[in-house]
Amino acid sequence: MAVSAAASDGNVETGSWLNIDTLPTLIFSLISLLIVLYAIWSVKSGRKFTIREIPGLKAVDEAVGRATEMGSSILYTPGWGGDIQRPTTIASMNILSSVATRTAEYDCRLIYPTHDPVIMAVAQEVVKESSIKAGHPERYRADDIFYISSSQFGYAAAVDGIISREKPASIFLLGTFEAESLILAETGNSIGSIQIAGTDSTIQLAFFIVACDYTLIGEELFAASGYLSGNESILSSVKAQDIIKILISLFIIVAMIWATIDPSSTWWVF
Amino acid sequence: MDRLRTRWIIFSGLAIVVIVSYLITIKFKTAPSPATLKAYKYLDTLPEKSVVIFSFDHEASSLPEIQPIALAMLRHAFKNDLKIVGLSLFAEGTAIGYDLLSKTAREYDRQYGSDYIFLGFKPQYISAILGMGESIKRVFPEDYLGNMTDTMPIMLGIDSYDNIEMVVSIADGDRTVQWVEYAGARYNQKVMAGLTAAMITSYDPYLSSEQLYAVVGGLRGAAEYENLLDKRGGGSRGMLAQSAAHLYILALVIVGNIIYFRNRRRGGGG
Amino acid sequence: MRTKIPLVVCLAFGVIMFAQYFSNHTIARAVYNNILEWWQIIFAFTLFVGVAAFIKNNLKSISRGKKDTPYKIVSLIGLALMPLLAIIGGTRIGSPFLWSFENMLAPMQATVFSLLAFFVASASFRGFRARTVSATILLLTALIVLIGRIPLAEMISESLPKTTFWIQSYPSMAARRAILIGIGLGSMTTALRVILGIERTYLRGE
Repeated sequence: MAVSAAASDGNVETGSWLNIDTLPTLIFSLISLLIVLYAIWSVKSGRKFTIREIPGLKAVDEAVGRATEMGSSILYTPGWGGDIQRPTTIASMNILSSVATRTAEYDCRLIYPTHDPVIMAVAQEVVKESSIKAGHPERYRADDIFYISSSQFGYAAAVDGIISREKPASIFLLGTFEAESLILAETGNSIGSIQIAGTDSTIQLAFFIVACDYTLIGEELFAASGYLSGNESILSSVKAQDIIKILISLFIIVAMIWATIDPSSTWWVF
Repeated sequence: MDRLRTRWIIFSGLAIVVIVSYLITIKFKTAPSPATLKAYKYLDTLPEKSVVIFSFDHEASSLPEIQPIALAMLRHAFKNDLKIVGLSLFAEGTAIGYDLLSKTAREYDRQYGSDYIFLGFKPQYISAILGMGESIKRVFPEDYLGNMTDTMPIMLGIDSYDNIEMVVSIADGDRTVQWVEYAGARYNQKVMAGLTAAMITSYDPYLSSEQLYAVVGGLRGAAEYENLLDKRGGGSRGMLAQSAAHLYILALVIVGNIIYFRNRRRGGGG
Repeated sequence: MRTKIPLVVCLAFGVIMFAQYFSNHTIARAVYNNILEWWQIIFAFTLFVGVAAFIKNNLKSISRGKKDTPYKIVSLIGLALMPLLAIIGGTRIGSPFLWSFENMLAPMQATVFSLLAFFVASASFRGFRARTVSATILLLTALIVLIGRIPLAEMISESLPKTTFWIQSYPSMAARRAILIGIGLGSMTTALRVILGIERTYLRGE
C-alpha cells in the first residue's frame, strides 16, 4: 500500500495522521490497554488477584531440589527461535530469575547456553542479580552462561552434547523453540532428567508434551513472572488477559451466529 | 540399559527402512492438495514479466526437504517468464538461495540483472520486511554481487511491495509468519510459502483466514508440485522413503500399545 | 538513574512505534524508517558481541584444560577458517568458502536435523499409549493422519486423505487457534508491561 503518491499537480501528498484502514486495530488496542490499566488500578485500590495453580511452575522448586539432592546441575535454555525483543524470551527471563535465585540459595550449578549474544548478556545480568538477591553473590558463575552459535543445529548439537556430558538432573526448556525442540527434549529424556518446558509455538508444544514432564501451554508461560514473584501489578495484567479473552470469545460467538443467519455479512471481517 | 536398547532397535529399524526405500524406485502419482494447487495456479496465471520475490528463509539443515520445493517453484516461475527478486533473511540461506537461483536460471537461459536478481542477506528481518514496504532499494542499496540495485534493469520501476505480485517465503521456521504479520498485514502484500512438513500445521490458521495465500509443504508438497509441472525431482524421489517411514512409525505405535496392554495384564507398568 | 534512563527510553520508543503504525503521514513514516535503520545497525553490533564472547569463553576453557577442550579447539578453528576462506577466495560459486559450506556445514546441519526423525519415532513409541479414553482418541487420530499423509492413502481409500484434511482443518485448527489467541494476548500484555516499565527483568533481573 503506497504511503505517499505524487498528486497529479506534481506535489507529494503528506498522508494523513490517522490511517483509517487501521482503525479497527487501534480500537481493539485501546480497549485492551484500558482493560490492562483498569486491572492495574484495581490492584492499587486494594483488590487482590490470584491465578490458578500451574503445575509446570509449581514444579520449579521440585526441579531445583532434585538437582541439589543429586549433586547435579540444572540446564536452562531459551531455545533458538527468538531474540530478546520477543515477549516469550522476556517471559523466560522472568522464570530464569526465580530459578537462579533458588539455585544460588542451594548452591546448585546453573548452565545457560544460548544462541544469541544479547540474550546471553541479559541472562548474565539476571542471574547475577538473582545471586545477589539470594544473599550469595559469590555463587554467580559467569562462565556457565554462554553463547554457542546462532546456527540452529549448531546450537542444538552443542546443547545435546552438554546434556549428554553434564547429565543435568533438571532441564528447563523455556522460550521460543523450533525444530530443535524434540532433539533437546528427547536427549534430556534419555538421561532421565526432569524437564519443564514452555514455548509459544503450537507445533513444538506437541513435542514437549510427549517428551517432557511438565509443559506450560499457551499463556501459562507469560503468567509465570506474576505466579512466581506474586507481584500484584503483573498478576493484574494476567487477569486483564482473561478479560480480553472473554471479550474475544463473545465477539466470536456473536459473529458466528450473525454469519450463520446472514452469510453475506462482513462487518466482523477486519 | 533396557531403555537404551529399545532406542537402538527403533533407530536402527528406521534407518534400514529409509535406506532400503531409497534403493528402490517406485513412482507415485501424488494428487495435489488444495494449497499446492492454489500456489501452482497463482504462479501459472501471472502475466509474463510479473515480479515475484523469493525469500530463502531457511538454513542448510533443511536443504534436503526445502530444496525440492524451491527448485519446483523456481522452475515454474522461470518457465513462465516471471521476474524473480531473490533475497534471504537468514545468513545461511544467502549462499543457498543464490546457488539455487543461479542454477535454475541457467536451465531456462535467464540473465542475471534483467530476468532475476539476488539482493543478498539483510539482518534484523523485521526491520528488513517493514523497510521493503517503503523502499526495497533503501533496504538493499547493493545486490549480492555488489551492483547498485537502482542500476539493474530488473529493478527499474520496482520501489516497494506495490510493484511485487507475490512474496514466496521458502522457510523452515517462522520467518513466513513475519512476512504475513508485517508485509501482509501492514502492506497487504500477498505471501505464500514453501515449508518443511513439520511447520505446515502451524500455518493452517493463516491459510484458512487467507492471510497466507498458499502453502507448498514438505516433501509431499514438492512431489505434488513436480507432478503438476510434470518434472520429476527430489520430492517425488523421496515419497517412497517418507511413506515407508510413516508406516514404520505406525507399526511402532501398534507394537508399543501391544506391549503396554500385555504388561498391564501381567500387572506391570506401561 | 541506571534503571530510569532505559525505562524512559523504552517507554518513549514503545509509544512512538505503537503510534506510527496507525499513521501514514510523511513525518511518521520518516521517523519509522529511521528507527528501522538504527535497529539494523544496533543488531549488526550485537554480532561482534557474540563472536567476542564465544572466543573469550572457549579460550578460557582451553586454558583451564577442561574435559571438552578438543571441541573448543575445533570450534575456534571453524570460527577462524570460514571468514578466512571467504576473504581469500570470495563467496561465489566454486569458491573454497562455498565448497566448505555445501560439503561440510550443510551436511553436518542436515545430519543433526535428521536426528529429529529418529526422535519422533522413539517419542511416538513412548507417547502414543491408549491409557485413557482421551489418549485412545488421540492415538486413533494420529494413526489416521499418519496414513492419510502418504500417497498410499489414496490407494487404500479416498476418504483417508479427506479425513486427514478434515482433522487438520477443523478440530486441530480450532485447538491451535485457541492456543494462538492465548499466546497473542500473553505477548501483548508482556510487551505492554515492558513498555510501561512494570516488567523490568531485562534490566538487571529486577
